[in-house]
Amino acid sequence: MRKLVLFSVMVLLFQTSVLGQENKTVFENANTAYNAGQFEQAVMLYKEILESGQHSAALYFNLANAYYRLNQVAESIFYFEKAKQLNPTDEDIIINGAFAQNMAIDAIEVLPNSQITQWEEKAIGLFSQEGWAYFTVFLAWMLALFWALYLKNRIPLLKRSFFVAALTVALVFLGTLSIAVVKFSRNNELNYGILFNKKIEVSAEPNSRSEALFLLHEGTKVELLDQLQEWQKIRIANGSEGWIKEGTIRSLKNN
Amino acid sequence: MKNRILPFIFFVLSLTLSMAQGVSFDAKLSKRTLGLNERLRVDFVMNENGDNFTPPSFSGFRVVGGPNQSISNSWVNGKRSFSKTYTYFLTPTQKGALSIDQATIKIDGEIYKTTPQKITVTEAVDIPRDPNSPEYLIDDNLHLVAEISNPRPYVNEAITIVYKLYFRNPLRISDARAVENPKFADFWSHNIDIPQLKVEDGTYEGEPYKMVVWKKSVLYPQKTGKLSIEPLSLNLIIDLPSNRRDFFGNRILQQSSRTVTAGRRTINVKALPEKGKPANFFGAVGQFDFDALINKNALKATESFEIKLKVSGKGNLKLFNLPQLVLPNTLEIFEPEHTENVVTTLSGMQGSIEDNYTIVPRFQGKYPISPVAFSYFDPKKEQYFTLRSSEQIVDVYGGPLANNSDDNSTPIAIKQLLSNTDESFRFIKLNPNLEPIVKKAFWNSKLFYGLITAPFFLLLGFVLFLKRNQRISNDVEGSRLRLANRLSKKYLGEAKKNLKNKALFYDALERALYNYLKSKLRIKTDDFSKSRIAEILVKRNLTQEEIKSFLDLLENCELARYSPATDAKMQQDFDQALAVISNIDKKI
Repeated sequence: MRKLVLFSVMVLLFQTSVLGQENKTVFENANTAYNAGQFEQAVMLYKEILESGQHSAALYFNLANAYYRLNQVAESIFYFEKAKQLNPTDEDIIINGAFAQNMAIDAIEVLPNSQITQWEEKAIGLFSQEGWAYFTVFLAWMLALFWALYLKNRIPLLKRSFFVAALTVALVFLGTLSIAVVKFSRNNELNYGILFNKKIEVSAEPNSRSEALFLLHEGTKVELLDQLQEWQKIRIANGSEGWIKEGTIRSLKNN
Repeated sequence: MKNRILPFIFFVLSLTLSMAQGVSFDAKLSKRTLGLNERLRVDFVMNENGDNFTPPSFSGFRVVGGPNQSISNSWVNGKRSFSKTYTYFLTPTQKGALSIDQATIKIDGEIYKTTPQKITVTEAVDIPRDPNSPEYLIDDNLHLVAEISNPRPYVNEAITIVYKLYFRNPLRISDARAVENPKFADFWSHNIDIPQLKVEDGTYEGEPYKMVVWKKSVLYPQKTGKLSIEPLSLNLIIDLPSNRRDFFGNRILQQSSRTVTAGRRTINVKALPEKGKPANFFGAVGQFDFDALINKNALKATESFEIKLKVSGKGNLKLFNLPQLVLPNTLEIFEPEHTENVVTTLSGMQGSIEDNYTIVPRFQGKYPISPVAFSYFDPKKEQYFTLRSSEQIVDVYGGPLANNSDDNSTPIAIKQLLSNTDESFRFIKLNPNLEPIVKKAFWNSKLFYGLITAPFFLLLGFVLFLKRNQRISNDVEGSRLRLANRLSKKYLGEAKKNLKNKALFYDALERALYNYLKSKLRIKTDDFSKSRIAEILVKRNLTQEEIKSFLDLLENCELARYSPATDAKMQQDFDQALAVISNIDKKI
């Protein structure tokens, strides 16, 4: 029995490693194609990797670049956003993403955030979800350690400093835990997508009688809200909301 | 005699002439249309004398005068002309389409008939016209007509309206001026200048007239439905021959002023068909060509390029807007410069209109110029057409600070370098760092909860452990007992084993006591005497009583080896030893 399990684990490991090797060569081939100017070929190869069930910020970044070279605005923006999700601080992704945004027709003025919201965003964006989880666990252990030291120690000075340290760690722990929870719920609630329609009208109500509020063009990042039959409620970065009918919006969420 | 011969000669001549010319016998009507209260004059004219004139029945008419007979016979340059006329004056008795039937006459034994004439009798007119009055003459011989090229045009389809003045003898027009020019409300109109009025020959209702084109306009209807065109009124000064003659026998011309109007016309304007109407249709009607021209496809940032949207062809060029250019908002776009190069002729507007956009890209990158669609309706083919410009990409290179005119400042040059490297399009990444898309999340997993709660449980355990220690140290009685137990185990173990054997027991007990002291007080075995022990113990702050009990115990051990002792005594000593040791142990 144990042998069987071991064997299967080994097979699994082997498979993944083979897959990894294969994808790595595909990735290199795609890069060569990109450099040679064969962007369609590069896109095809990058997508092959995606279909095999692997991804990375670099992969999305390269794919987005290839789409940018092909002048496909919506795809390019979509994959830059995907790359940003995995690696929000990478400078290359931010700069090339701005290039793709330049190409889009709509330039939407982003609502100014209050100072507090900015700090909040900054704090939340500091680590990924996993990062926050690991950090929280680490802090829990630190807290326990400091508390134990405080309890154990007899020398007043040390005891006092350990107490203060434990208290500080406890506060930080609670903070990170709440940030992690908030981040998680946000990720679950917020659903962003990229508009793929060349041009679409946004109506005030989910019916064809209602007045058209504004026009959107491809490549616009929208927040997906409610849905009613074939109508989808959206919000754009400047805070405007509206309904669009049978729009092609690709969600940025992994699923 | 002479009188008798002349007619005879005439007769012979006329006979021969009539053979050559042929005989005519016609009915001539003064008007074809008349009111019920007007009169009609009918002349039956023949050019040869005849007999047995039989008038028609004149059904529907009443004969109010006639028949009057008149004969004219003239001889001009050896050519004789003869005419004999029977004249009737009739009044219609009923409305409608009436006819004057055939009249017959016998000339030279042959019977000639007139052709039947049709007459329309209308309602009674206000003022019965006198056919000889100048008014009547003017009415009959002067017409102002508005000719419309297409009375059922589409909205924005060009139509022309031409005002023509027809007149004929005996009228002569000496002056004319417009009293009221028509206002073309609901139309876009353009007047085509006529440099000089020209009299031409024309026909009006099948009869020859002189004609003057007074006014030409091109109209583009702007509304659907029935639109009326207000009439044009002309004030004319007309010379008319009167019945009076001057000294030389010429007729005296009579001048009269007259205002004529071309009647009000209505035009039925059709709406453009809804079927197949493109979404981006802005009202262009005609035949057009559309183009979007970009003058540069690659340029540096902050340089400018131009996009020209041009529509050329025939149609309502001045009456529609060019399609809007949709550009990425990051480009700086200036208001387009609109130029029109349109000539309006009788067939409508022709030429081209242009919107010239000047665009300045601020940042480098690629900017797609999305195709612009222009739709128009062709009224000839009755169909919509959409023309599309091709999609183009404008490539902007060089950073926003690329400015050639800066030649004095090095800092800018350095900055420019930096900004260029900062803002150029980055190359792809070469390290894949691939990971599975569906990754097991650590957050919310069992392991995560386990790891996050484990330290708290451990801490709790630690606290409990400490608490237990605390309790133990606080419990005096219990602790003594535990201490004694421990000590007895350590030192009195051997003694306890030998509780049955008196000699061995006391030996072991004594040794245990010494051992205890040795280990506790670090006394060397050699100088063990009771006084010495007492001395040491005093030093250790033990009371006399305690020291005494210890020494007594030692003494007991020595004595008991040689004296009989019961089991009970042994047990008692053992207990005492235990008590003494634990007592001392606490103090030391």
